[in-house]
Order: sequence, then C-alpha cells, then structure tokens
Amino acid sequence: MSFIHDPEFGNRIITLMAALVLVLQIATAGQRWLISTIRLFALQSFLLASIAGIIAYFNQASHLYVAALLTLILKAWLLPLLLERLVEKVGIRQEIEPLINVPLSILISGCLTLVGYVVAESFYHPEETSVRAALGHNTLAVAISLFLIGFFTMLNRRKAVTQVLGLLFLENGLFLAAISLTYGMPMVVELGIFFDVLVAVMVLGILVFRISETFDSMDVSKLRKLRG
Amino acid sequence: MTEMLVKSGVQLVLLLLVAPLISGIVKTLKARLQTRRGPDVFQPYRDLFKLMRKGMVIPDTASWIFSVTPYIVFATATLVGLMIPMTATDAPLSLFGGVLAVVYLLALGRFFLALAGLDTGSSFGGLGSSREMTISAIAEPAMMLAIFTVALGANSTNLSEMAQAAVSQSWKFLEPSQMLAFAALFVVLIAETGRIPVDNQATHLELTMIHEAMILEYSGPYLALIELGAWIKQLVLMTLLVNTFFPFGLSSDWTVAGLGMGLVVYLGKLLGLACFIVMVETTNAKMRLFRVPELLAVAFILGALALISTFLF
Repeated sequence: MSFIHDPEFGNRIITLMAALVLVLQIATAGQRWLISTIRLFALQSFLLASIAGIIAYFNQASHLYVAALLTLILKAWLLPLLLERLVEKVGIRQEIEPLINVPLSILISGCLTLVGYVVAESFYHPEETSVRAALGHNTLAVAISLFLIGFFTMLNRRKAVTQVLGLLFLENGLFLAAISLTYGMPMVVELGIFFDVLVAVMVLGILVFRISETFDSMDVSKLRKLRG
Repeated sequence: MTEMLVKSGVQLVLLLLVAPLISGIVKTLKARLQTRRGPDVFQPYRDLFKLMRKGMVIPDTASWIFSVTPYIVFATATLVGLMIPMTATDAPLSLFGGVLAVVYLLALGRFFLALAGLDTGSSFGGLGSSREMTISAIAEPAMMLAIFTVALGANSTNLSEMAQAAVSQSWKFLEPSQMLAFAALFVVLIAETGRIPVDNQATHLELTMIHEAMILEYSGPYLALIELGAWIKQLVLMTLLVNTFFPFGLSSDWTVAGLGMGLVVYLGKLLGLACFIVMVETTNAKMRLFRVPELLAVAFILGALALISTFLF
C-alpha cells in the first residue's frame, strides 16, 4: 500500500474533491429549494473537512485535524440543523424568483469560476515548489471561485435565509483558501473564525425569524419600508 | 477487409443482444425499487417479437418520411454502435469516423424522428418534435464539450485511440476535468434517453411526453425498429460513458479469451451504470418542461469547465 504515502496520490484526491466542491457550489446556483441548498452546504462542508484531513495527513500538520473535526461538527452537522429548523419555523420553503434567472446565474457562476482560475494562476510557480508543497495548489482556484460565487449568491437572492447561506459558502471558500495556502492558520485564529460564523448564523437566524414575523416575508427588498 | 467484417458482425450481434437486455434490467430494477414486481429482464425481447408479427397502421396524411424514418433511426444507431469500442479498444468501424461522426449520426436519427413526428400532422407529434429539438439544442453542445475534454487528453478524436490512451493512464478518471466531463455526459445521457428528470419513458401523458409523443403514430414492425434504435442509442451512450471514463478491462486485441474477459467486465460496468441511472430515476421527480433547460445549462457549464480545466490544471 505504498500509494497511501505518496503525495502525488494525495494531490489527485484533493484535486478531485475540490472539483466536487466546485460542482456542489454551481449546483446551489441552480437550486430553488431552501432545504436542498442547506443539504448541499452540509455536503460541501463534509468534503472540505475531508480535504483538511487529507492535507493534515500528508503534511503531518496535526492541528489541521482539529480544524477538520470542527468543520465536520459545526458546518456539516450543527449549522445545517439550525438552518433547517429555521426554515421549518418560518415556513418558507422555496426561493420564488432570484433577481437573475437560473440558467443565467449558472452561466455567471461558470464565468466566475473562470475568473477564479485566472486569478489563482498567478499565485502558482511550479519551478519554485516541491511536490509536497504543491499539494492542493489547485484548490486555491476553487477557493476563489467559491468566494466569488458565494458573493454572487448573496447579491442574487432575495430571501434572507439564502443570503445567510451565501455568507456560509463564502466562508467555506475562505477556509479552503486558508488550508490550501498555509496548511492551516494558527489554532486561535481558526477557532475564532469558527465561533464567529456560528454566532453570526445564530444572530442572523433570529434576525431572519424577526424579519419574517414583522413583514410576513423573508424578502429583504421589503426592508426598505419603515414600520413601527 | 474480412477481418473488419468479422469484427463488425461480432459487435453487431452484441449490440442487438445487449441493448434490449439493458433496457429490461433498468425497468426491472426500477420496479423493484418501487416495490413492484415488474416485468422480467427479457420482456423487451418479447415486445420486439410481438411487434414484428403485428400489422401496421399508417396515417393517410403520412408521406415517405414516415416510412423511411424507422430505418434511418435504426441504421444510424447501429452504425454508431459499430464505431465505439465495446469490449475491445479498437472498434470495428473506427476508420470511418470519430466522435464527431458519432454525435452527428445520432443527430441525423433525431432529425428524421422529429420530421416524422411532424409528418403525420397529429398535434402530439409536432409537440413532441418541438420539445425534442429544444432539448437537444442544448444537450448536444454539452455532449460535444464533454467528449472534446476526453479527446484533448488523448490527442485524438478517434474513439479507439481515445480508449487506448485511457487504458494506458488508468488513474486518469480521478482528474477533475474527467469528472466534470463525466457529470456533464451523464446529464446528457439522462436527457437523450428520455429518463426521469427530463422525460418519462413509462408514460403517455400528453402534458409531459417528449420521445413518446413523436412516435405515437407508429405501430407494428416500424415501432419495433424505432424502439430497438432507441435502445441501441441508449446502449451507445452508456458505453461511451463507461468505456471512456472507466476503461478497465477493455481488451487490446480481438482474441476469444480477451473478448470474453472484456465482455464480462463491460457488462459489469453497464450494470453499475444502470443501477446509478435507476437510483437517479427513482429519487427524482420529473421536471417541468421549462425547468429542463436549467438542468441542461448545468450540464453545459460542467462540460465547459471540464474543457477549460484541462488547460488550467
């Protein structure tokens, strides 16, 4: 079983999983059901946790295992659970109309991926890096794409819950960029970001619930009207 | 020359035998998953023999296109079947054309099927034709992009050379470009064979049918030919998927032992893909017609990303 220790093999697996993450991200751009989007997010977080685990294994970076475990518990289990409860409580299950229609948003997501690749290309110098250090260099492009598509989701959707999800996708992109470039930030920073996101989602969850209570809708464009 | 004829003969027999079987397997598996008993896997053969012995009803308004279409559909599907590697890496008719020929021969069959749907003058036929053309207009570019990705990796659009290149690099399917292309081609397979998120083979409900609407006026031997053509087309697309992306067990020569081994592995791979298709079909609901372009847009973007990522990675 020599290939288990071969960085080349690890690189292939990581690249493959990064591509899967990207596919999931583009799938969310074409997804209308809130519950399905939340499940896609959970699946994507699970893949991210696996990528972190694999990078930790091949670089002997043991603190990344903690990050992987935290991602698994918080992002793949707890946050989706909270969001699903929220969607059930609010009772709005479908994004009726995004600002830009679905085929066009998918096309735009594709173009944003291209932008991600072009940007990431300038960071990569194959002659200066060893095989082990190049582990997961492809993931930077995917990370930037996740970031951009997350932004686009936040701009494109009207519902507050999908905007929260856009933020979460964006954060996934940040996490992927962090683990692929630096093999994990210091533990304190890592923990800080995780709890930041957790608290943000909880606060936003309460906010979303309030919005839907007050306005009978989650449509953020209605927030322009003042109400006592 | 005689060698090519023998190879073509062997592959032709394989095509004609396996195509209905795969269709039967998918139907049976689907029924079992929905806790029905369903027909057994050999039912498509019985259907074919029954249709062959029946008489035909041809509409008065139909022109020569109506009667020439079944032959064209069957002939193009079979010809394409001989151009792709099934159990051995070199396909019998690989000298006659590569992926472009495959895509456009299938398009020729579809073109005539759509014409025949219009030809009878029944409103359902025209409806089916227009829907089929709408879908294929997006599915075809997606398919081309996905196949070009593989062709780029092999430096050839010849399917036999593509299969040989794929056999020599067995870890190739782990590459993201290959995976994206696989996903794109899988969506195209679902759309082209009229399976559930796009079309439903099992129903004749006027609001939803696409392929069934075009062939509504056909009966008897003509219907048998069209059905067989559709099954062969399905087998061809499935073969394209399993043999270009998972080229394990393709024999490099046409010896009996190599072919036998190749056939066993090939049938195993087909069965795996069939199970996957059945799972997709049972866990999804049919899409509204106007949502279908969204699905195909995803396939198109996946194909485009696959092609682009071969340059970037």
